[in-house]
Amino acid sequence: MMHDFATIWSQRDVVFAGLLNTVILLVVAGVASLVLGALLTPLLMSRHKLVARAASAYVDAMRCAPFLLFVYLIYFGLPTFGISMSNWAAGALALILYNTAYMGELLRGAWQELPVTMIESGKAFGFRGLTLLRRIILPPILLRAMPMIGNQMIQIVKDSAFLTVIAVSELTHEMTGIQATYFIPFAAFVTAVLLYWCICLAIEAGTGVLNKIAEERRA
Amino acid sequence: MTAFDYWSITQGALATISLSLASIVLGVPLGLALALVRWARVPGLNGIVYSYVSIVRSCPTVTLTLLVFFALPQFGISLDPVPAAIVALTVSTSAFNCEIWRSALVEFPRDQYDAALSFAMPRATRMRRIVLPQVWRASLPGLVNEMTLQIKSTPAVAVIGIVEITRAALRVGSNTYEPLPPFIFALVLYGLIVFVLIRLQRMIEVRLRHGGIA
Amino acid sequence: MSSRHTWFTALQIKKRDGLRRAAQSALFAAVAALGIVQAAHAATAEEIKARGYLSVATEDDFKPFEFVDNGKPTGYDNEMLALVKKKLPVEVRQQIMPWSGILPGVTTGKYDMAVTAVLVTPERKGTFDFTSPLSESTTYYAVKKGSSIKSADDLAGKVVGAQTGSAMLSDLKAFDEELKKKNGGKGIKQIVEYQSYPETYQDLALGRLDAVANTQINLNSLIKTRPDTFVLGQKIGNPVYIAWAVKKGNSAALEMINGALLDLRKSGEMYQMQKKWFGASFESMPQSVN
Repeated sequence: MMHDFATIWSQRDVVFAGLLNTVILLVVAGVASLVLGALLTPLLMSRHKLVARAASAYVDAMRCAPFLLFVYLIYFGLPTFGISMSNWAAGALALILYNTAYMGELLRGAWQELPVTMIESGKAFGFRGLTLLRRIILPPILLRAMPMIGNQMIQIVKDSAFLTVIAVSELTHEMTGIQATYFIPFAAFVTAVLLYWCICLAIEAGTGVLNKIAEERRA
Repeated sequence: MTAFDYWSITQGALATISLSLASIVLGVPLGLALALVRWARVPGLNGIVYSYVSIVRSCPTVTLTLLVFFALPQFGISLDPVPAAIVALTVSTSAFNCEIWRSALVEFPRDQYDAALSFAMPRATRMRRIVLPQVWRASLPGLVNEMTLQIKSTPAVAVIGIVEITRAALRVGSNTYEPLPPFIFALVLYGLIVFVLIRLQRMIEVRLRHGGIA
Repeated sequence: MSSRHTWFTALQIKKRDGLRRAAQSALFAAVAALGIVQAAHAATAEEIKARGYLSVATEDDFKPFEFVDNGKPTGYDNEMLALVKKKLPVEVRQQIMPWSGILPGVTTGKYDMAVTAVLVTPERKGTFDFTSPLSESTTYYAVKKGSSIKSADDLAGKVVGAQTGSAMLSDLKAFDEELKKKNGGKGIKQIVEYQSYPETYQDLALGRLDAVANTQINLNSLIKTRPDTFVLGQKIGNPVYIAWAVKKGNSAALEMINGALLDLRKSGEMYQMQKKWFGASFESMPQSVN
């Protein structure tokens, strides 16, 4: 057993590359889906019925679709439209599209809890449109929704493991390769599980710090 | 796509749903057991359950399934794909259910429990008559939400070769050399199932809210 | 306080102690298990006969060696297994699964034998014993029709795909090293590892890959089904044998199967099968490759 872990240690650059890839996917997909979600939220709450309906149809579709099937849809679907993307890019796109819907929805929940007076006083001071969104609305709802955003980030990390099926070399994919070549399934997958745990603990720690900042701001 | 292709994808969807149901049926009581261990603050087990829940909740379903199927044989526990999938899915959902049950247990008014204690009710009766009926209602929305999430993450077991919806769609695609249509069909089919469940979930939430104890 | 209540409280404390001790011993057992964990041992011939079955694992999609057609496993290895089964004193329990689980499953004792196309390489010989060979193989590459890759050396700077954990992947990596030596450092741009070949061929057809490395038998089968999409390239590996694999030292299972395989060779049925599935037969294979 210790010999197995020694083999993993000898392959640590491969493991590290996979871990790095997972973290990069997390950061890219997390930031992009948060930004796009913040842009989606006003569409969800728009007064124009058509826009609001289209946006919530998109959110409902993403909430009903299992991520793995969605990944395959993007992976096989894009080439039929002539868009040629690498596996990594297709995987990242799937993560972003999927999680934008979730981010938009949870920001909407936070928005609805925002006191109307805040928005009205912002409008009274002359803030309009995108500036209103950026300076008055977004900061408090982002801070209020911080725990849920943290949860969604953890979900992104877990969903990134699905990308192994389209040969994206993230952590699970690299570990499967190592265990298939060296016949050390337990050591390989236990290492993967522990590394995922570390990433999620880091996310929770980060969210905790941001939460403290939010508390101080609110007080 | 021939009729046989549609049928094989539908069969795959049925296989996936049955795996989800099996893991839900096993995972809900298991989650309750874990939550009770944490609630009772059993000294040694408390720490173990805490770590177990923390690790399993951060583990992707794919990785957990691979671990259960490929790694356990090294300990002499060799499972066929379907039992391995059920074990992995149950482990995963029980960790989430533990947190859901626990949050309801923590909110449970302690004075009711103390009153039962002062009447010298045996533990089993205390749980069965006082705690569980009320805690059950409080946890239901969370549990049903987790069931929906569980059904959505079940396709992960495709990685150990079970012919569920994903693998069925892949096979049809690789035989017909047109990979997209089977996946559109699979996505629509499975999405409809989840959609029905989400509607059901909303109905349950509404009924509970009007039914009294929230 | 009624005496019953104090009795319950005392019982609870005792129960907690007992539970704690149970938890500690469970923890200790888990740690001990990790220390002394060993793979299930290889069964002897008597054990196999007493058990009544041999457990084998076969890949799910590796045309023409093994694949599933309308729900039934078929292909060269599956049909050979059907012939071998007739000569065995025990039944055979077959598990169809992805390639990446088969060899590790044999090492951990989950399966007695991998009844699938395993290329016999020196690295594998350290962990596995092989049956009498069932085929020969050389690793080639295939490209999409109209590709600019005309020879093996043109693979430099290109993206090539192969199956994870396969000998074809190792051949590809070794070829990459040679290319780098020849070109002063420039080798294959990227090697992408896939779970199984159907996805690899799809990516080749879509243009995400420039080439795919596989055995010439597999690639010939691919080109026969899709001659207008794919073209066979040149060889990038050396000829090896393909056999079924058992864990090293598992001579009981090996002897059972070898007897049957050699019989099938004598009767000519093996060569007929090869002609059926490969279009060629390999009649000068050695009897043992261990």
